[in-house]
Amino acid sequence: MNFSKTIFKFIIIFFFTLSFSNISNSEEKNYYKDLITDWSRIFPDSNRNAAGPKFFKYIIDKDINYKDFIEYNKLYCAVSGSLIDPNSDPDFLFISERGTKNKICGNYYKCCIPCSCDIMKYSEVERMKYKFKDGIKEFFVFTIKNPCNKEDFPNRVNKDYFCVGEKINNKQVYDLNGRIVIGLLHNGKSCKKDEIDFVKSHEITGRFCEFRNNTPIENLEAGMGDIFIKLAR
Amino acid sequence: MKIKIISYLKKLVVLFFLLIPNNLNADFFEDITSQIVENPKRLSYGVSVTDVNQDGNFDFIVTGFGYLNLALSYKNGKLINIVNQKKFSDEFRRTIGVAACDMDKDGYEEIYFLNTDTYSGTKKYSDRLIDLDGGNFIDLFEIKKNQKDLNLTAGRSVACVDRKGDGKYGVYVANYGGPTRYYEYDKKIIVDKSVELNLAKITGGRAVVAGHIISDKIDIFAANERGANFLYKNNRGKFLDVAYEYRVQDIRQNGRGTALSDIYYRGRLDILNGNWRGFHRAYVLKDNIFEDIAKPPFDEPSRIRTIISADLDNDGYDEVFLNNIGEPNKLFKILDDGLLQQIPIDVGLEPDGYGTGAAVADIDNDGILELLVSHGESVDQPLSLYKAKVNPNNKYIRIKPLNKHGAPARGATVTLISNLRKHSKTIDSGSGYLCQMEPVAHYGIRKNEEDIKIQIKWTNGKVKTVSINELNQTITLKQE
Repeated sequence: MNFSKTIFKFIIIFFFTLSFSNISNSEEKNYYKDLITDWSRIFPDSNRNAAGPKFFKYIIDKDINYKDFIEYNKLYCAVSGSLIDPNSDPDFLFISERGTKNKICGNYYKCCIPCSCDIMKYSEVERMKYKFKDGIKEFFVFTIKNPCNKEDFPNRVNKDYFCVGEKINNKQVYDLNGRIVIGLLHNGKSCKKDEIDFVKSHEITGRFCEFRNNTPIENLEAGMGDIFIKLAR
Repeated sequence: MKIKIISYLKKLVVLFFLLIPNNLNADFFEDITSQIVENPKRLSYGVSVTDVNQDGNFDFIVTGFGYLNLALSYKNGKLINIVNQKKFSDEFRRTIGVAACDMDKDGYEEIYFLNTDTYSGTKKYSDRLIDLDGGNFIDLFEIKKNQKDLNLTAGRSVACVDRKGDGKYGVYVANYGGPTRYYEYDKKIIVDKSVELNLAKITGGRAVVAGHIISDKIDIFAANERGANFLYKNNRGKFLDVAYEYRVQDIRQNGRGTALSDIYYRGRLDILNGNWRGFHRAYVLKDNIFEDIAKPPFDEPSRIRTIISADLDNDGYDEVFLNNIGEPNKLFKILDDGLLQQIPIDVGLEPDGYGTGAAVADIDNDGILELLVSHGESVDQPLSLYKAKVNPNNKYIRIKPLNKHGAPARGATVTLISNLRKHSKTIDSGSGYLCQMEPVAHYGIRKNEEDIKIQIKWTNGKVKTVSINELNQTITLKQE
């Protein structure tokens, strides 16, 4: 008898589920769609050159939990400011930690192969704490130094996004200890020796980046190249 | 024990029929394509609905891309082409967009054929603006005085705009790779007023709709490709683009089929907007911002072309038909609270169909809308004609507003007010993609619906309310 009742309940649940499965009322977040939808709000002048920091600021200002924060930060390129297709694979790389010079390993979601090289060479990572809807979390972020007093500030980058005079425009980008946060290093942690060896021997983060990072800027022909580098160096 | 098991099984059977999902209710549509007389494979695009031959009945106009433009009229149970005059049929100019409206205030709707012989930028042949002179169709753009501002830019959709609310329509031409055009009579000469009206932007124009969107006059929403959408607020007959402020720029998506629809059944027009291989939008106005409430499966990217919002089965809830090209079509029903429920279809699915346009009209005057789907682009295919299988107990009311010149009041908003809803519909100015629907507000009546009134907001913003005492009829409302 109990078996029959169980079957009965199961069938009720099954049909209820089936009945509503074709209704367009999913509560599951579509992070990529959110960024597409709000793109004009993030970049009112449509210039997203090197504007990864704008994405980071937009995301962290949202009223979200830590999981949402992580997922949103997989969908833009910290170097170029372009969107990244959902389900893209990140590059595993290491970056120097500001202050300690320790190597911090983690995943970087990029839009192009040279971006991984540029971020390894021209940015540093720092620990950051932030209070989300589900509590305070700590993570590593990529930062670049304040570019606002540069005489050769790249003219293809919207300076108003980054600067108010010679100060960082903290209404538009996130200011962490006087530096601009450009993106999130996913799963960041101190590197182990075998991880450093892996990065150095990898065909992109190793051989290709060594070649790229020893090429004069004027000879760079791929990636955001000189725009980000001029901003970040 | 046995009796109890039988009792449970009985309950199960009852529950099965109560909870049976709609995806087991196959065949929403009936295929009545056979009603089309002479329906060869062809490259068709936009479809419009107007009274081509002034016989008091609406006809489908179907554009041909290197094929004849057709005027399909319903006669003796069949749809038959009734026009075979060169200026109209125009086999060689490659027509793509079409809309009809009364530009010269004589009560007859001129027909704007947008021709495009190239993808973008400068084209060889201009558009045609067809008028009926006696029994002859003439092209007003062939008259010398009207040739100053011919449109020689590739384009897509056109829509009619009564920008001053005086019944004198202009035509918004969504061009691609060149300035938008806006044609209107000025001192008996047809001129382009796009610059004067702040409409002459260059973009990849795709779809355009016009109606009471954000003001009490006729506003314009244009869905564009490779650039921001436009939302033009009518400001004393001129226009101001407020797409950014209202958050409908959607700059990363490539606009296609667009329709005005009362998504919340709250007595105002919101926007359904399909994006080519992008997220389809259901924009509803909240606190002066359009919020996209579309969720899967409605918003899922597809090769979208036309979008139509209409009550096809006369149940009092609008369906949304998503016409895809080279990909199965989709059908949804707008439930209360903006919920979009997918209706599985077999007939009308057209998995191999190259849909390029579609329009609805009650072409046979039986109180049920027919859906005509055109095909083409890269594959020549015949037209399709569908009709929903309607519960014979369902009732309807159709409102046909005519302006003070006796022409269809395209752009006016009709609202059905009852104990169950406040449901607005636009008298279509041009919508879908490249298309235009019949200029009638068609309502099915819900179960237990009563105290039905009809409110009409004319293109000048003035409102009139009438009570409905008898259903199952078409009521013509004339502007005073």
